[in-house]
Amino acid sequence: MLKVSCNVLSDQSQAITQCGFLGRGPILTRGHRRNAVVLRSGSGSSYKGPILAVVSDRVIGSGTGSGSGSLADRLRLGSLTDDGLSYKERFIVRCYEVGINKTATVETIANLLQEVGCNHAQSVGFSTDGFATTPTMRKLHLIWVTARMHIEIYKYPAWSDVIEIETWCQGEGRIGTRRDWILKDHATGQVIGRATSKWVMMNQDTRRLQKVSDDVRDEYLVYCPREPRLAIPEENSSSLRRIPKLEDPADHSKLGLVPRRADLDMNQHVNNVTYIGWVLESLPQEIIDSHELQTITLDYRRECQHDDIVDSLTSVEPVEDAELVSKIQGTNGSTAATENNEDLRQFLHLLRVSGDGLEINRGRTEWRKKHAR
Amino acid sequence: MVATAATSAFIPVPSPSAPDPGSKPKKLANLGGMKPKSISSGGLQVKANAQAPPKINGSSVSLTTPVETVKHEGEMSSSSSSSSSSPPPRTFINTLPDWSMLLAAITTIFLAAEKQWMMLDWKPRRPDMDMLIDPFGLGRIVQDGFVFRQNFSIRSYEIGADRTASIETLMNHLQETALNHVKTAGLLGDGFGSTPEMCKKNLIWVVARMQVVVDRYPTWGDVVQVDTSVGASGKNGMRRNWLVRDYKTGEILTRASSVWVMMNKKTRKLSKIPGEVRGEIEPYFLDSDPVVEEDSRKLQKLDDNTADYVRTGLAPRWSDLDVNQHVNNVKYIGWILESAPLPILESHELAAMTLEYRRECGKDSVLQSLTAVSSNGVGNLASHADIECQHLLRLEDGAEIVRGRTVWRPKYAKNFGTFDQLPAEST
Repeated sequence: MLKVSCNVLSDQSQAITQCGFLGRGPILTRGHRRNAVVLRSGSGSSYKGPILAVVSDRVIGSGTGSGSGSLADRLRLGSLTDDGLSYKERFIVRCYEVGINKTATVETIANLLQEVGCNHAQSVGFSTDGFATTPTMRKLHLIWVTARMHIEIYKYPAWSDVIEIETWCQGEGRIGTRRDWILKDHATGQVIGRATSKWVMMNQDTRRLQKVSDDVRDEYLVYCPREPRLAIPEENSSSLRRIPKLEDPADHSKLGLVPRRADLDMNQHVNNVTYIGWVLESLPQEIIDSHELQTITLDYRRECQHDDIVDSLTSVEPVEDAELVSKIQGTNGSTAATENNEDLRQFLHLLRVSGDGLEINRGRTEWRKKHAR
Repeated sequence: MVATAATSAFIPVPSPSAPDPGSKPKKLANLGGMKPKSISSGGLQVKANAQAPPKINGSSVSLTTPVETVKHEGEMSSSSSSSSSSPPPRTFINTLPDWSMLLAAITTIFLAAEKQWMMLDWKPRRPDMDMLIDPFGLGRIVQDGFVFRQNFSIRSYEIGADRTASIETLMNHLQETALNHVKTAGLLGDGFGSTPEMCKKNLIWVVARMQVVVDRYPTWGDVVQVDTSVGASGKNGMRRNWLVRDYKTGEILTRASSVWVMMNKKTRKLSKIPGEVRGEIEPYFLDSDPVVEEDSRKLQKLDDNTADYVRTGLAPRWSDLDVNQHVNNVKYIGWILESAPLPILESHELAAMTLEYRRECGKDSVLQSLTAVSSNGVGNLASHADIECQHLLRLEDGAEIVRGRTVWRPKYAKNFGTFDQLPAEST
């Protein structure tokens, strides 16, 4: 299971914002965390309740003035939404984030999801040294780690497109929390992707999982929607499907993958997003050339260190007819396809440690045929 | 390696007035200057089709109508003055909410005043103003049209192990500004930095040499301002310079310079710059002092005997490739550093780097990275002086991809974050 690697806030800002979100008064945050995005977002309506008052003060901001607030806060293109329960940010796709399809790579998308998650956490005052650890968690040396990540992309953005990502988190049963994202093309407002992720709590020192206690839950639930809000509400969504372990021998493989220095976060663990790249490595070239990734689901099982060597295995997963009918939309109704359907391909994946075969990740990917842009 | 970075090398931006009396007088159209009346709101510069074509030596140089390639914050302005053939802008600001009208009015007022401030190399920071003009940080032409400027906010995933932006992040930003410069000036023929005339002749820019000096690395949440410009390099080359500043303080963080040559993409042979291309790009050349002191020492070729550290089995991943399925330039730097010894990486930070690009590689290449510590002694890696290393990136069969030299300076007080970084000792 992996941590998202984010940077810590400075100690000072942490102290201030911690007081802030415990509801001790907006004055501590005034002049410290301002958000000039108010110029564009138009948010800044009034709030109710002490804790939300802190949020409002941050969002309203105060135009020009001395630069005691973080400059990036003021220039940041993201902000909490009016009700303070989710966070929206805009990103431009940069040229080096674009891949062989002239569109943003799935790793770029995953990086942006991570970035907006970190920014959300920071904007509500959580530390972002692991992932949004609350003060209680920090005291108990608890961190969030990713258990499952599911990303669906309907339309990949191209260079210099602006995408708007909205994210929010909520509790998930007793053991975890989930974070959801919706991605939109800022120009058209069209939804171009959705994602959801599940996180569990782990003790940083013992590396053992732990149940979410009520104090921790209360600390962050304030910032979560009251009613369950799912980015992917469909009940038959593949984000909920179990991922079986693929059988030996795999159809395709790429062995001997090694973490690069750039893949490591500050704690020398391999960054979440690197796994996505590794999963894709064992796909045959003809799939990469003819199809584009529509959905990827990853179950994180074990963390990977900088000196591990990783094998990536891929096998075709037959698409059942029932699923196929629901997936193929807008076709001329040819639903008699089985695993030979060329428009939609599905694969199971496994990442394991090269020597002892210990499982690192399992995954499933769905691919749709590329169309000329 | 050619790829996107290669062709995005240059991008001249014409200017209405010569930057200094000593430079040769050029009668140029005001491609980059402020033209408040042609911009309805928020849009800055780069209304190439709104100007007369520049004249070089009396002959008129035609500019492509770059409307469809001009994507900048003033998208709303493009709809007012664009030519009829532009496809609907793909990006933002097509459907702004109503407050944009107010924004437009406010911005127009500021633009006239902004014109004066543009002349200065550095001015007091007015970030809110910048947000009005360049809300998405797409960049704009400044300084009489010769310089392209873009801001970047350092994202969390761009941070390296020591909590500062990695050298790859910095290089990525340089690449992005180069390409945006080309695009904003209206000279993007094919999306990779080749001008229209170059595309017709199957010519591409190839980076030959790159020098980067980092004075201080930014950290997450910092905003950097990257200025880039181009000039001639010899008779048939082009030089692109970058200057990276801390947006808030104006402090110079990074200086970089690169040399580009022209190559025929079919024959893979180097080419002289044809007259038509010269006509397109020379108006944009800026005669300026070098931003980086030229490191003209010959880079040595390492081999298994002279290298101290070797890392083999480096393979490109899908995400390393550009649209031509060549490995992006910037990835080489990461591979070069793969064989840098860990003690150096832990106690020192990369202060300067010189790279010579020799060959490109693709997805199926398997590379080896070699490093030799060329000064300060192998046994003394944790000392408090600068360390210099030589590097080689090559294919398994020995074909050279990149030669390099790096200089490392000790990190100071790294536990306290970057703000306590002391400047490198000057030699």
